[in-house]
Amino acid sequence: MATLTTPTLSRQAVLDALSHRQPSRLPVDFGATAVTGIHVNCVAALRDYYGLDKHPVKVHEPYQMLGLVEDDLKQAMGIDTEGLYRRNTMFGFPNENWKPWNFNGLEVLVAGEFNTTIDANGDTLIYPEGDLTAKPSGRLPKGGFFFDSIVRQDHFDESKLNPEDNLEEFAELTDDEVAVIAQDARAARASGRAVVAGLGGTAFGDIALVPAPGRKDPRGIRDVAEWYMSTSSRRDYIHAIFSAQCEIALKNLQRIRVAAGGDLDVLFLCGTDFGTQTSTFCSVGTFRNLWLPYYKEICGWIHRNTEWKCFKHSCGAVERFIEPMIEAGFDILNPVQCSASGMEPEHLKAKYGDRITFWGGGVDTQKTLPFGTPAEVREQVLRRCEVFATNGGFVFNSIHNVQAGTPVANIVAMLDAVREFNGR
Amino acid sequence: MSAMEQLYTAVLEGDAKSSALLTAQALEAGADPMSLITGAMVPAMDEAGRRFEAEDYFVPELLLAARAMKASMVLIRPLLVASGAKSLGRVAVGTVKGDLHDIGKNLVASMLEGGGFDVIDLGADVPPEKFIEAVKDKGAQVVCLSALLTVTMPAMKTTIEALKAAGVRDNIKILVGGAPVTAQYATEIGADGFGENANSAVALTRRMLVEQVADAQLLSEGK
Repeated sequence: MATLTTPTLSRQAVLDALSHRQPSRLPVDFGATAVTGIHVNCVAALRDYYGLDKHPVKVHEPYQMLGLVEDDLKQAMGIDTEGLYRRNTMFGFPNENWKPWNFNGLEVLVAGEFNTTIDANGDTLIYPEGDLTAKPSGRLPKGGFFFDSIVRQDHFDESKLNPEDNLEEFAELTDDEVAVIAQDARAARASGRAVVAGLGGTAFGDIALVPAPGRKDPRGIRDVAEWYMSTSSRRDYIHAIFSAQCEIALKNLQRIRVAAGGDLDVLFLCGTDFGTQTSTFCSVGTFRNLWLPYYKEICGWIHRNTEWKCFKHSCGAVERFIEPMIEAGFDILNPVQCSASGMEPEHLKAKYGDRITFWGGGVDTQKTLPFGTPAEVREQVLRRCEVFATNGGFVFNSIHNVQAGTPVANIVAMLDAVREFNGR
Repeated sequence: MSAMEQLYTAVLEGDAKSSALLTAQALEAGADPMSLITGAMVPAMDEAGRRFEAEDYFVPELLLAARAMKASMVLIRPLLVASGAKSLGRVAVGTVKGDLHDIGKNLVASMLEGGGFDVIDLGADVPPEKFIEAVKDKGAQVVCLSALLTVTMPAMKTTIEALKAAGVRDNIKILVGGAPVTAQYATEIGADGFGENANSAVALTRRMLVEQVADAQLLSEGK
């Protein structure tokens, strides 16, 4: 087994990169967030490849079926980050009381309340809070690799729409929840890696969360298309949700700061996607009107009160949003989808590289990583590192999660290429 | 503003309530159902598509326009069926097996409908046999396959192979689209075209139907 990192140097490498200083080596993240992770079947394959202890991999993020990257695999892969996850999964049950589950022939571990049924088509249905008497909130197609939300949208009377209904999932943290965060943060800090926390509550209008897959009987606007339309036709309603959500989030952040502030380095704030492959979901004007004020409040508070760095995820062609994202106070952009229009690495680095850290962009996960050869993977990784890594401002990660079925030889080629780059 | 102009504006601005009301009023006043489509709704959807291409409109505005048009079509379609009016062509649309994402597919379906096509919406997670059935039993002339996921793209290839195996591939045109799909991939898997977005899908479908007619003519002339 190749040990690629010294954990005590890991955090410093990440902090240097985030401060736009040249780190001693290019830092790497896999698994610290739900958008920089690895599908469970690839985690299992990697464990086999590196000859690690044989045991079923835990599915710590059941929506996308992401596998937990344990400490031994982190060392083997050369990972410099430690994820701090929220207690409850997307489906509203806690990651505890692990039990075995057969996933397309692979033995994995899932949370005790990961309760499923099979429908007439052979699809797997999953239930909010693990409650089999509730309506299912997620579907994994037969032979598929991850869940999607089942939209449970009741007919609503336009005149009775109440923003409070769309705020059900945003609540102030309980004392117990804060205590667990503090405890987990201390443990994460002890790893020596940079601690990346995704604690929820600060994602404004993330389309994956709109259907509220963790709630048994969601109210308000829960249909994906209806939500998108509402950002244009019911803007006051959306503002009311975001405004109240922001207020709750600031209270929670204050409590997290007091309980665990010194143990966190990066806060994953929002995964709302603004980009498509070739364009965006809204204009820059809409972004400035509807999102920027709340992002500014959250990031501003964080920068005034903590040392944390603010992490923003958005897939797609978001080049024109980078300037307002920097203005909002985001320090990090992920996943840096270089295959989307206007997202060429050289251009991004030259125009924004000294003001925002690119966390991702290391290799394409739509084509090269899953379907290319190991030589093609190596070539692309080395090229991306050459462009992005100068003067810091780059944390290596693939463009979004490593997808199910990606050949392990390609993942290893990617990691070896980073090591090769670091050895130059 | 004339009733036709008002309907045009209602569709373009995505005002479903007004669109339905204006359509009902026009029909009650004796308007020809087809003229409402060709005179107001198709131009409105064309303009929505143009604005989308110009990035004045985005997905929300396109969805709103499509919904407004649908609200009118609910009133108009039964009258068209009763009068035996012909559409521009029949198109089957679906997200391939294993993929549950349907916003892009729904937009394509709505834009096609707005463009005057008869659309068979097969939904999401559609097995190849459903596409075959749409061609064999329902007379689809064009099949549009959608996939959002890298891992479900191969199901497009499987579907095309199944259409070949069922002996219907040469009778139809196949169009593919979705975030990870490229023109190169479309060629590799033997599709006839790649729609970069909902608007280009409509333009391509029009072109394909023209090509299909030309192919059929060549075939009948034994060339």
